[in-house]
Amino acid sequence: MYPFTYHRPDSLDEARARLAASEDGRPLAGGMSLMPTMRFRLASCADLVDLNAIEELAGIERRNGQIRIGAMTRHAAVAASPEVGEAIPALAALAASIGDVQVRNRGTIGGSICFADPAADYPAGVLGLGATVNTDRRAVAADDFFTGLYETALEDGELVTSVDFPIPERAGWAKLGNQASRFAVVAVMVSLAGGAARVAVTGARTHVFRAAEMEAALAANFAAEALDGIAMPSEGLNEDLHADRDYRAHLVGVMAKRAVRDALAR
Amino acid sequence: MYVGQAIRRREDDRFLLGRGSYVEDITLDDPIAHAAFVRSPHAHAAVTRVDAARAAAMPGVLAVLTGEDWTRAGNGEAEGVWPVKDMSGADARTVNRPFICVDGTVRCVGEIVAMVVAEDRHQAQDAAEAIEVDYEEKPANTLTARALDADTPLVHPAHGTNEVLVTEHGLKEETEAALAKAHHVTEVVVPTNRVTAASIEPRCYMGHHDTVNDRYTVWTTNQAPHIVRRYFTKSLNIPEHKLRVIAPDVGGGFGMKLYHYPEEALVLWGAIVSGRPVRWVGTRSECLLGDTHARDHHTVGRMGFDAEGRILGVKFETLGAFGAYESQWNASITNAYHFTMLSLAYDIPAIHTTVRAVYTNATPVDAYRGAGRPETVYQVERLIENGAHEMGIDPLELRARNLIPPEKFPYQTAIGITYDSGDPPALVEKARALANYDALRAEQAALRAEGQWMGIGICAFFDMAGAGPVKMMNDLGAKIGCYDVASVRVHPDGRITVFAGSHSHGQGHETTWSQIAADRLGCNIEHIDLVEGDTDRVPMGIGTWGSRSLSTAGMAVYTAADRVVAKSKRMAAHMLECAPEDLDLADGEFTVKGTDRKLSFAAVANASYHSGDRPPDLEIGLEETSFFDPADCTYPSAVHLCVVLVDPETCAVTLRDYWAVDDVGTVINPMVLEGQVHGGLAQGIGQALMEECAYDPESGQYLAGTFMDYAVPHAEDVPSFGLDSHFTRALGNPLGAKGAGESGTIGAPACVCNGVIDALWHLGVRQVTQPMTPKKIWRAIEDAQRAQQ
Amino acid sequence: MAQVSVSFTVNGREVTATVDPRTLLVHFLREELKLTGTHVGCDTSQCGACTVHLDGRPAKSCALLAVQLEGCAITTIEGVAGADGMHPMQSAFKEHHGLQCGFCTPGMVMMGIDIASRHDAPSEETIRSELEGNLCRCTGYHNIVRSIAAGAQSMRG
Repeated sequence: MYPFTYHRPDSLDEARARLAASEDGRPLAGGMSLMPTMRFRLASCADLVDLNAIEELAGIERRNGQIRIGAMTRHAAVAASPEVGEAIPALAALAASIGDVQVRNRGTIGGSICFADPAADYPAGVLGLGATVNTDRRAVAADDFFTGLYETALEDGELVTSVDFPIPERAGWAKLGNQASRFAVVAVMVSLAGGAARVAVTGARTHVFRAAEMEAALAANFAAEALDGIAMPSEGLNEDLHADRDYRAHLVGVMAKRAVRDALAR
Repeated sequence: MYVGQAIRRREDDRFLLGRGSYVEDITLDDPIAHAAFVRSPHAHAAVTRVDAARAAAMPGVLAVLTGEDWTRAGNGEAEGVWPVKDMSGADARTVNRPFICVDGTVRCVGEIVAMVVAEDRHQAQDAAEAIEVDYEEKPANTLTARALDADTPLVHPAHGTNEVLVTEHGLKEETEAALAKAHHVTEVVVPTNRVTAASIEPRCYMGHHDTVNDRYTVWTTNQAPHIVRRYFTKSLNIPEHKLRVIAPDVGGGFGMKLYHYPEEALVLWGAIVSGRPVRWVGTRSECLLGDTHARDHHTVGRMGFDAEGRILGVKFETLGAFGAYESQWNASITNAYHFTMLSLAYDIPAIHTTVRAVYTNATPVDAYRGAGRPETVYQVERLIENGAHEMGIDPLELRARNLIPPEKFPYQTAIGITYDSGDPPALVEKARALANYDALRAEQAALRAEGQWMGIGICAFFDMAGAGPVKMMNDLGAKIGCYDVASVRVHPDGRITVFAGSHSHGQGHETTWSQIAADRLGCNIEHIDLVEGDTDRVPMGIGTWGSRSLSTAGMAVYTAADRVVAKSKRMAAHMLECAPEDLDLADGEFTVKGTDRKLSFAAVANASYHSGDRPPDLEIGLEETSFFDPADCTYPSAVHLCVVLVDPETCAVTLRDYWAVDDVGTVINPMVLEGQVHGGLAQGIGQALMEECAYDPESGQYLAGTFMDYAVPHAEDVPSFGLDSHFTRALGNPLGAKGAGESGTIGAPACVCNGVIDALWHLGVRQVTQPMTPKKIWRAIEDAQRAQQ
Repeated sequence: MAQVSVSFTVNGREVTATVDPRTLLVHFLREELKLTGTHVGCDTSQCGACTVHLDGRPAKSCALLAVQLEGCAITTIEGVAGADGMHPMQSAFKEHHGLQCGFCTPGMVMMGIDIASRHDAPSEETIRSELEGNLCRCTGYHNIVRSIAAGAQSMRG
C-alpha cells in the first residue's frame, strides 16, 4: 500500500469538507474492493476519508412508495431487511448473493455502485429497478449513473448518500457466479412496473446495460417464453478466463429468462 | 492397541486455539527485516539494465541485490534431486531453475531479477518499485502442445530445441500389433491442465546468520528440511553441519513445498549480506505464479479392444511440461511416476508410451499430489470411457472385464512394474454396491428423457507410493536415497521422544507415529512426543512426499521402537533374573511370562541410564535409530464412482455424489485416512472442473494470479464423500501399509471428467479438455450439435 | 504520513496504539499483539483465513485497516475458548477431524461459531453455502461441514 493520511469524519458535512480540501482524496466505504486494490498498489490516494462513522448514511426506510437505502448500508442489512424483503424481494436476493458472509457484513451499496466493477451485482439492481442515486449534490437516474468501466457520473468529491428504489410490480434476480471470485459472469435483474419492463445485465460488458429488445418483449408479455428467439449479439461483450463472448451472450439469454421466472415465483 | 483406532489428533489443540507456529509466526530477539522481489513482467526478455542505485538509498533499505551480486558472491546453481536423464542415461538438456536472473535473460513471468531487504514491508516494496529494469521482449511460447512446432520460439536457444528429453517405455511392437488386429480402436486427445497446489499457507522463509558461532538457520515452509539443507550446499555453498533448517508447522504442501526455491536461498543470502534476520512472506499472487505448477501433459492416446471389449493394447504420445527450467524433482514425473502406472487396475497385454519433456516460457512444473499419476489415470480412463460408449458396452461392465484378477498378484504389468498385492474386482463390487450403480443408470435414463443431463463417472487404478526402495528409486533417477529415519529416545523416567525424518504438513504424524510407537513399546500414547522438521534435532530425513511417510518413516519408528524393546528387555531380564525371551512388555510393565513378577518400563529406563548393575556387554542408554529402506514400493489401489449433473442451460456442472473405495493396506488411523482421501478428492475435482494456471497464449502473461481467477473448490463445489475400503496387505514393509496421501487427486480428475462425458455423450460430445468449465462444455455441445447437423 | 491513534478491544482487552494508517487489522493483530492465530492466505479477501469477529459478526481482517476499528470489539481465535477449555466449536473440529494443516482452521472456527449463532440446526447445504468466503485445501470440506454441524448442536446445549 502507498502511504495516505487517514480521516474518519462522523458527519457528511465533514466528509465533504475533507474531500474538498484534498488534492487527491478518496472515500472509503466497505472497502471490499478498494482495500485489495490498494494492497496491490493499483490504487492510491493522499487522503483516505473513511465514511464508516457517518451514521446518517446508513439505514433502510420505506417512504413515498419507495425503498430508500443509505449509501453505507451493508449488504447483510439489505438482505435481512423486512422492508426490502416485503417490497422488493429480488433486491434482498441480490444483496444475499453478493460475495460471502464476511463481505456482506462489511460491503455497502454505495461502495459497490461507486466502484462500478463491471461484474458487480448492485449496478444491475439499481439499473434494473430504475432506481435514483442521491448524492450530496443531486439526484441521478440509474440510466445516467453508470458510464463506463469503473466509471460513474459522479464528479470529484461527490458522495452518494442513498439510493431510492421504486417498488415494482414484479422483479427477479438471476446470477451465474465465476468459479473463482464468485463475481457475476452474467447476472440479470428484471422488473415490471407500470407496464414497462427493465432488463439490466451485469458482468457482460464494461458496465451494466439494459437489454432493450428483451424489455420490449417482456412489456408485451412478462413471461420467460417471451424472450425465446431474442439473441444477444456477442459483439462487444467481455471475454476472460471464465467466459468468451459467445458463451456470455448465451448466458444473458439464460439469466434473463431465469430472472423472469424468479420474478414470477415471488 | 492404538493402531487401527480413530485416535483424535494430538496436534489439533494448538491449531484450534490459534497457537500453531508457522514460519510467519516466528519471532526472534533481533528485529526481522523484510524481503521484496522484482520479478519479470515478461514471458521472455533480455534484461538490458538493472539500476538499483535509487532503491539502495531509500529509507529503511538494508540491501539491494541482483544477479550480478549473486555471481560475484560465488553462489551456485540449483541441482536436480531427480535430474533429467534421457533413455541412454546421459544428461539431457538440463537448465536448472535460477535463484535469481544471472544470465541476462528471463524466461517466464515472475522470474526474480532483484531483491530488496528493508526494515519493514512497505519500505521493501517501495524500494523494489524504485529499481529500474529495462527489458527487451523476445518471442515466447507458454503452450506445451506447441513446444516442438517448427515455428515455436526456443526457450533455451543454445540447445537448438525445446525438447528436454525423450523416453520410451513398454512393448512397442506388441502394442502396434495389438492395435492393428483390434476389433475397435479408440483415439482421444487427452491433455491435462496446468494446475498448482495453492496451499492456503503461502510459502514463507526466514534466514539468520549467527556470525559469532558461524552458524546459519533457515525457517522454511517445507516438507523435507534435510533435503533443503543438502541443496544449500549448492546454492550458497554452506556445509551441511553449519546449517540448521527448521520447518515448523507447515500449512499444507501437497508436494509443492518440497523444493529449494529461489526465495529460500535468497532470504538467507539477504541475511548474510545485511547482517539481519530476513523474512519473505509470499503474497498469494507471488505464490500462484512462483510456486511450482503441475500436470500440463499433452497426450494423444489410442486403445484397441477385442469384440468383447477386452483391452488388447494402448499407445500414448505425450509432451510433458517442464516450464522454463528444470525444477528439482521434475524428472521424477516424466521418468518415473508417470509411465510406470499406465496399466492402472487393468490386465493390459501391451502398453507403449513415448514421453517428450519440453520447455515453454512458463513457471517450472514439478510434483503436486499425485505427480504424474493423475495424468496417467486420466489418459487411460478417458480412452476406456469413450471405448465403452463407442462399443455400446456399459462402462462399468467393460472395466470389470479388464480388471486384474486377484489370483494374478503379484502382477507384472506390460510396462514392467510389479504390483505386490490388490484385489480390483473386490473394489469394483464394493463401489457398485455403495453407489447402487444399476439404479443410477435407470435414473440417468429417466432424467435424460426429461431433458436433464446426468452422467456417471468411473475410474479404477493403482498408485505407486512409498518411495523407495533406495536402489529402485536410484535406478529410476533419484539422486537421494529414498529411505527414512527415526530415533526412539527413552528418557530415564520412561517417557519417550520420537524423532522422525518425515515432516507432517497436515498429515497428523504426531498422532499416527505415536500410535505405532506406543503399540510397539507397550506404553501409553500420552508418554510419547514427536519431533520432526528440525535438522539439528532429527538425525536425518528424506521427508514427506509421494505417500511415502508411513511406509518409510513410520516403519523406521516401528523398527527403532522394536530395537528399544529388545534392548530394554535385556536390561529388564537382568533385573528380573530371567531370559529376555521370557518377558512380555505391555501397559508400561515387563512381566515374566506365567508369573506375577513385574517391573515397570520406567524403572528399566532409569536403570539403563543410571545403574552400574547391568549385563556386561549392554551399552548404557536406551535410544535406537533406524534408517529404514523398504523392500518394495507400495501399490495402493482404488475405484472411484461419481454422479454429475450438467445444467442444460448454463452448462455448469454439479457434482452430486462421489464414492471412493480404497485399498491402502493396513490402516493406522481410519479418521486420518478418510481425511486424506477427502482432501485429495477435492483437489482432483478442482483439476477436473475449475483449476487452471492459464497464460495468455499471445502475450505469455499469466492470467490466474489471484484467487479471483484461479478457482480452487469452495465447500459448495464438492459433495459429501462416500468412502469404503477393502484391504490387502502390502508386502514391502512389516506393517503391511501402503500409504494414502494421493489416491483422491489421482482418481478424481478422470472420474469426474468421465462423468461429464457420460452425461453429454448422447449430444455427440466426445471430449472436453480439462478443466471442464461451463464455457468449454457449452462450446463442445455447440460444436457437436453443429457437426451432427 | 501521520500516524494515527486508535483504541478498541481485542478479546475483551482494551488496546490503544499509534499505527501507520496502512496497517491492516490482520497485521496489527499478528505483529503488534502477537495474536498469530489469525492468518493471511490471499491478497483479495477470498480465502477467509483472516476471519475475525468485528462487533460480533465475521469480517475479513485483511480488508480492514487497524485505524478503522476505533471503539470496536474484535474477537480472534485466541479469544473464543473459555477458562475451562475449548469452545464447543473448537472441540467439534477436533472430534470430527475438521482440520489438517491448521492454517485455514481459525477462520473456519470463527465462521462456524457465526453460522451456529444465526442458524438453529444448520443443514449441510446451509453450512456449505455459508462457507463461501473460506477456503480449505486439505480437508475437502467434508469434515469441516460435519464439525460445524456438530459444534452448532453442542452450542445449543
